[in-house]
Amino acid sequence: MVATPEVGPPGVGHPEAEFQTQDLLLNVGPQHPSTHGVFRMVLQVDGEVVRDVIPYIGYLHRGAEKLCETMDYRQGIGFMDRTEYLAAFNAELSYVMAVEKLAEIEVPERAQWIRMILCEMNRLSSHFMFMGAFGIDVGVFATPFIYAWKEREQLIDLFEEVSGDRMMYAYFRPGGLAWDVPANFKQRVREVLESTKVGIKDFDGLLTTNEIFRARTQGVGYISAEDAIDWGMSGPSIRASGVNIDVRKDEPYMFYDQIDFNVPTRTEGDVYARYACRMDEMWESVRIIEQCLEKMPDYGPIMPEKMPRMLRTPPGEVYLRTEAPRGEYGIYLVSEGGNRPYRLKVRSACLSNLQALKDMSVGHYMADAIIVLGSIDIVLSEVDR
Amino acid sequence: MNVDLFGGSVNVWLDAFIRLQLIVLLMTVVVMGYTYLERKIVARFNQRVGPQKTGPFGLLQAVADALKLVGKEDLRPRSADPWTFELGPYFVFIPVLMGFVIVPFMADWNIRLLELGLIYFVAVSGLSIIGWVMAGWGSDNRYALLGALRAVAQGISYELPLVLSVIALAMFAGTYNLGLIVEQQDQVPYIVWQPMTAMIFFIAALAELNRAPFDIPVGESEVAGGPFIEYSGIRWSMFQLAEYAAIFVMSIVFSSIFLGGYIWPFGEELGVGFQLLLTGAKALLFFFVIVWIRVSVPRLRIDQLMAYSWKVLLPLTLAQVMVNGLVLVNGWSEVVLLVTGLIGCAALVMITSRAVVRPRMPAMRTAPAMQGEAA
Amino acid sequence: MNGIARSLMTTFSTFLRKPVTRDYPNVHKPLPKTDRAFPLLLWDHDVDEPFCTGCHACERACPVECMTVLMKDNPNHKSLGGDSSRRKIIDKFWIDYARCMRCNICVEVCNFEAISMNNTWTGHETSVYDRRDLTMDLQQLLSQSRAGQIDEWVPVIGQANEDPAAAAKAE
Repeated sequence: MVATPEVGPPGVGHPEAEFQTQDLLLNVGPQHPSTHGVFRMVLQVDGEVVRDVIPYIGYLHRGAEKLCETMDYRQGIGFMDRTEYLAAFNAELSYVMAVEKLAEIEVPERAQWIRMILCEMNRLSSHFMFMGAFGIDVGVFATPFIYAWKEREQLIDLFEEVSGDRMMYAYFRPGGLAWDVPANFKQRVREVLESTKVGIKDFDGLLTTNEIFRARTQGVGYISAEDAIDWGMSGPSIRASGVNIDVRKDEPYMFYDQIDFNVPTRTEGDVYARYACRMDEMWESVRIIEQCLEKMPDYGPIMPEKMPRMLRTPPGEVYLRTEAPRGEYGIYLVSEGGNRPYRLKVRSACLSNLQALKDMSVGHYMADAIIVLGSIDIVLSEVDR
Repeated sequence: MNVDLFGGSVNVWLDAFIRLQLIVLLMTVVVMGYTYLERKIVARFNQRVGPQKTGPFGLLQAVADALKLVGKEDLRPRSADPWTFELGPYFVFIPVLMGFVIVPFMADWNIRLLELGLIYFVAVSGLSIIGWVMAGWGSDNRYALLGALRAVAQGISYELPLVLSVIALAMFAGTYNLGLIVEQQDQVPYIVWQPMTAMIFFIAALAELNRAPFDIPVGESEVAGGPFIEYSGIRWSMFQLAEYAAIFVMSIVFSSIFLGGYIWPFGEELGVGFQLLLTGAKALLFFFVIVWIRVSVPRLRIDQLMAYSWKVLLPLTLAQVMVNGLVLVNGWSEVVLLVTGLIGCAALVMITSRAVVRPRMPAMRTAPAMQGEAA
Repeated sequence: MNGIARSLMTTFSTFLRKPVTRDYPNVHKPLPKTDRAFPLLLWDHDVDEPFCTGCHACERACPVECMTVLMKDNPNHKSLGGDSSRRKIIDKFWIDYARCMRCNICVEVCNFEAISMNNTWTGHETSVYDRRDLTMDLQQLLSQSRAGQIDEWVPVIGQANEDPAAAAKAE
């Protein structure tokens, strides 16, 4: 573990120092330009150096898990969207795949390919959001955010053509998809990918080699591989520390075993490594989408032949995990028979990643604590559900 | 005693007063134009359009902003120290206005061309740091205090390269009088002979103006505004006005001492109106570059910022002063200055690139255990 | 410093590109047919009455319980001298747009294809000054379809796109 000093309450001071000082309790409040949602942390700072980080979560808790116990499997999809609104397709995917595993429904091939393409595009749009918010945290005024939004607009327009909504898609159903993609889907995806490549190159040019950016992010927020595993981190945050775990490679679902892609890993474990992992993942997502477009059949069923009107699952339980953009997003579903889950638990990647915040930021300056928080890439709706 | 003003002869005090009022008027208009221009230019850098709806092409946006700010409730925190909180904006704003005194806009048009113009300028521009501290401490807010202390550290650290680069240039020009400096540049602007001085002056000016990449006191994503947090309405806008006015005066000083002011490249025969346009064009170029840098680079952390000033800029400026001295004493050709200046610029660029090292972790003091040792 | 120079060149290159701003509200983005704004009820122009019979299927299926439905006997029914085959017809219908989460389930469960998601800009531009004005009653829900101003899209759940090769073979 990082040698965390045993800090006393503020006001105790450090009697062995030459003069008495008092640590400042700084509230990085729930409303703040850079906390990526309603997240409060209290920083105990000594001058500018952070001694302790006390996070407060729960501002966005809406009782999604409990509400889903009163919803049948189709109604619950809208709630899963809202637990991770930046990567809603991935959230829906976990839920829907868990139900399918429990009820032993087989999803037609074309629906799986379309799901893969949409989930990878959602990974792209989520990582763009990360780039935008991270750029603002580091201090570039407005530009990275607007670049991110420009590219997200293309992606979201495509999602609107496919599912009808720009952010809360409610498009996946247990068994397949709600309705088929428009006829020009492949051509539209290719257009959007071309524009996305320009966008990723813009971010590369803007941030990756910038000396000031590297001076701000290299060496900051280090977490070792052992500590990251102990905290239960996943996703790009742990891959940046050298631990090569990715659900798409370890337990391939859908058709990820038929696609040729790399999982970017770095060993430095600092903020720059996390940023670079996500940048590389965006290029990998583009590769995956292009391969999926080649392999996807143009026509075919998107739901199994005999789907009941109201889906009932046999009694049992299932835990299913997928690789969301932020890490391992798991759904633990307990069913008692009937058309509602008895218990739905969301294993949230962001909550586990957020636990490491104190380890990463103690001993750094206050400005770095903000950057470390940004680099974990949390979305509060998933932390709080 | 009477002096000449626009053909008529008026009392010297009245003459000074009228000139000051004209400059204040010009500055207000220019600052409003700068707020509009900044938004437009930043928007274009982001592939957006910027203000469009308020007035034709959004030109009245600054007026709309001013009206909105005037109409806001003027909040004063109850626990704020009354005198420092009240007077903080004035101490930030007035030194900037005082800096306008020595700036030459056109041939024979300025407020007063002091013989020690440049010294006066750097002396006065350092005064606004007091205003930042007053605003930050008087607000009784931790974020404001942090921002104010950061501003003071930064301001003081970058005064030295600024002053020394000004001295290096004044050594070369032979005078502190801005009017004379401009007139001496009718063939070749001084940036040719003093490229490294110009670069260091530019970087130090960015830091003095609290603009990116040195805007950590006003870091919007961290301290959410710094010392200005508790100010609302028109008092807040005084800080913004001070910032833009400082950009304006710094841009004119920079173009006067390095780019040739109203003289280069067209010489003295150019009419008065065109001289003003030339000055304005150079000021706009400076502003464009400042905004361009703002939208492209992240901000430096306070320790990196101060390390850069003390360890990189200051030695190079001192070296430039020594080189200037050597050249002037020995009467060598000015080309020596050009060559050494370019070498210095290359050195600055290389050192900045190499400066990306892992920052040293601050030494962690161990605190006593909680039980039984409370002070 | 060439990293900084690269950043500067990147932003300069975007400076030279055309702005992507759309001048809303003068210009509206064309919405796809599958767009899903708030729900509205459809009007049967053949017999001049709503399709909706007030069967409560959507009300039961709604996850957020945003609908209130009341049915009545249809005065226009064939047995009473009219020309409609609907025995019951909708009497009162309220949808609270503030609760609706636009999940499309009401459209999926409707047996009569009587409700559809608004895929025009009117469905998105629903700002009001008072939150209570967001509860739409029957006349407000019917007005757009009744005036013929909507080209509704009512999907069939799980239906795949038709394969022209297979269709040609079938003929």
